[in-house]
Amino acid sequence: MERRTFLKNSGLVAGGLVLSNNLIAANLVPNPIKIAVIGCGDRGTGIMHILNGLPDMFRITAICDVLDFRLAAAQKLSKNGVLKAYADYRKLLDDKDVDAVIVAVPLNLHYPIATDVIKSGRHLYLEKTMTYNIEQALDLVKLMDGRSKQVLQVGHQYRYSPLYYRVKEMVNKGFLGKVTQVDCRWDRNGDWRRPVPNASLERAINWRMYKEYSGGLMAELLSHQIDFINWIFDTHPQEFFATGGIDVFKDGRETYDNVQVMMRYPDLGLIGNFGAMCGNAHDGYLFKIKGTLGTVSLLTDQGMFFPEKKLLKEKGTIDGVTGATRIMWNKEGGTPILPEPTKDGTWYAFKDFYAKVQAKELPDSNVFTGARTAISVHLANQSLYERKISTWDKSYML
Amino acid sequence: MKNKLLFLTGIVVIILCASARQRPLQRFELKGFAQGTTYSIIYYAADSLVSIAQTDSLLKRFDRSVSLYDPNSLISQFNRSAKGIQIDEPFRVLVTRAIQISKATGGLVDPTVKPLVDAWGFGVVKPTRYPNKNEIKTLLKNIGIDKIYLKGRYLHKKSAAVQLDLNGIAQGYSVDLLALLLERNHISNYLIELGGELRIKGRKPNNEPFKVGIEGISGNDLNPEPMRKVIEPGDGAITTSGNYRKHHKAGGKQVSHLMNPLTGFPMQNEMISVTVYARDAITADGFDNGFMVMGLKRTLAFLAKRKDMGAYIVYRKADGLVADTVTSGFKNKN
Repeated sequence: MERRTFLKNSGLVAGGLVLSNNLIAANLVPNPIKIAVIGCGDRGTGIMHILNGLPDMFRITAICDVLDFRLAAAQKLSKNGVLKAYADYRKLLDDKDVDAVIVAVPLNLHYPIATDVIKSGRHLYLEKTMTYNIEQALDLVKLMDGRSKQVLQVGHQYRYSPLYYRVKEMVNKGFLGKVTQVDCRWDRNGDWRRPVPNASLERAINWRMYKEYSGGLMAELLSHQIDFINWIFDTHPQEFFATGGIDVFKDGRETYDNVQVMMRYPDLGLIGNFGAMCGNAHDGYLFKIKGTLGTVSLLTDQGMFFPEKKLLKEKGTIDGVTGATRIMWNKEGGTPILPEPTKDGTWYAFKDFYAKVQAKELPDSNVFTGARTAISVHLANQSLYERKISTWDKSYML
Repeated sequence: MKNKLLFLTGIVVIILCASARQRPLQRFELKGFAQGTTYSIIYYAADSLVSIAQTDSLLKRFDRSVSLYDPNSLISQFNRSAKGIQIDEPFRVLVTRAIQISKATGGLVDPTVKPLVDAWGFGVVKPTRYPNKNEIKTLLKNIGIDKIYLKGRYLHKKSAAVQLDLNGIAQGYSVDLLALLLERNHISNYLIELGGELRIKGRKPNNEPFKVGIEGISGNDLNPEPMRKVIEPGDGAITTSGNYRKHHKAGGKQVSHLMNPLTGFPMQNEMISVTVYARDAITADGFDNGFMVMGLKRTLAFLAKRKDMGAYIVYRKADGLVADTVTSGFKNKN
């Protein structure tokens, strides 16, 4: 930190000597951000793997989890010797060797821990969904007010993938025409449980099964696609019609294993269909955006564009086309959006987190967009579990 | 009785022949994948005479000769060899024609350009950075048609580092080979298209000519522009070389995939695309990259008096606006 400040100051002086900013930037090699991980489950350790691949940007200095064996497993991922390990995140926040914190804990704990991290002045990478309920989302927005130098990035990582970014651009530039339907699925054929070494840890490990801790499939999976649609169109749904149940695994779980929600975006004339379940894996991840000119079909790391057949026919008055390295259509009449599959979205998200911390700028996935998505998810769950049509309340000003 | 039968048989034969002659031509379309792109063949005949299995197998055989993406192809073997290898007939035809065209263009297209293509990041394996001047100087030592020679079927190289890249001409020749396959099967009205390279013969049944669109130059695959021009080329081949789609961006500048084999640097001039007409596709494809590197003025001079070859050129004027022009060999194509 000191070194960076020093260089920054000398940069100011040098600026007066008409040294170009580029030259200074080239000399300025900032130290990696000292980052701590609170929550060392699958997601927390997954992020640690990603950070290990970005050593110029991040150095993991501390880890925290309430489960000993999780801490031990995370410790093994360290590239910088033994990490400081904490069972109580508040103690971790007293550690001076931490500039930024990743919070990857059960959903009900996002708000209390995020609040303490923000108050400690650290930059925060907060896993999705941003908060467990609407009040907490609005509170975090208030808490971040006036903290423009402090970065809070919400872990909707697909926003950062070049593929999803390209799709946003395609939609915004009108390549798809008027978009009126979105189809999303995130299915599996399995109970969505993690192995439990000891029955007393059931709720701690399989927290996704219990309403007290989790928003279920809607919050843990579909929130990514809900967020992406909010982002593309810079909007949010107004009406939520959901249904579902515990239809496949009647194993004591509380969150539904079969959910479907329709969302209405009246300003766009758009219907969003979002579904997830544990009883069939054929579709797996499905994400289709359908417009009058064409369809985008996405996986997490690759996507295809299918122009509407009637548009292809308009070209039919000619018998052949000559051009440089011509476009390639597959047998179904589609063409890849990017030439190669992208990396994991989290990799791009952390590269941008680094850049935003350096520049002290608002990330793409920030507290406002995070709140918008958290509220959308919560209203969908309200419709699902209370069996009613939910509507966006005007008081949710973001 | 015998006479009567003979007479009747004769009548039947005459009727059969007449009906065969008058059987209306049907439209057949073959669509497939080859060389990392799509191909389509439209032909008119009384019956299906060529199948997709035949064209696929022809193109697969062709890949085994000259595809750089196949590590076991003859061309890959040649590139790895120390002194050269025995090559097959399509490879021989291609090298011979590539050498002729290289001479005709003063070396602006060159089959030995592969080390440069690789160094600038347009080969199969991508480097992490661009080459510097000294590295280019070293690479240029193994570039030039004097570095290879044919003795019968044996293609020699003068140094192990000499490597061939026939991608600039091979696609055109594969279209010619498809045309040959159709003609051997007595098909005389067809349009063959592979990766934007075309070969055309004859007309459609109502005596309508085949129409070919020249693609717009936005290079945006996902929202293509309307056709820049629609032409009726008649018998022959049409190929296009362009800068608008395949390039890298470095330091705000575009790095073209087309190399100038004399300087070792990617071309940099006013040319955006050249669509070439010639009798056969090996010729059109063989020259189109060369015209890109030559630039507008020299290409116009080169083609000024030629009737057997012509070009439609899209270029950027000094004021930044996009303009186009045709040479005399292309004028009757509109």
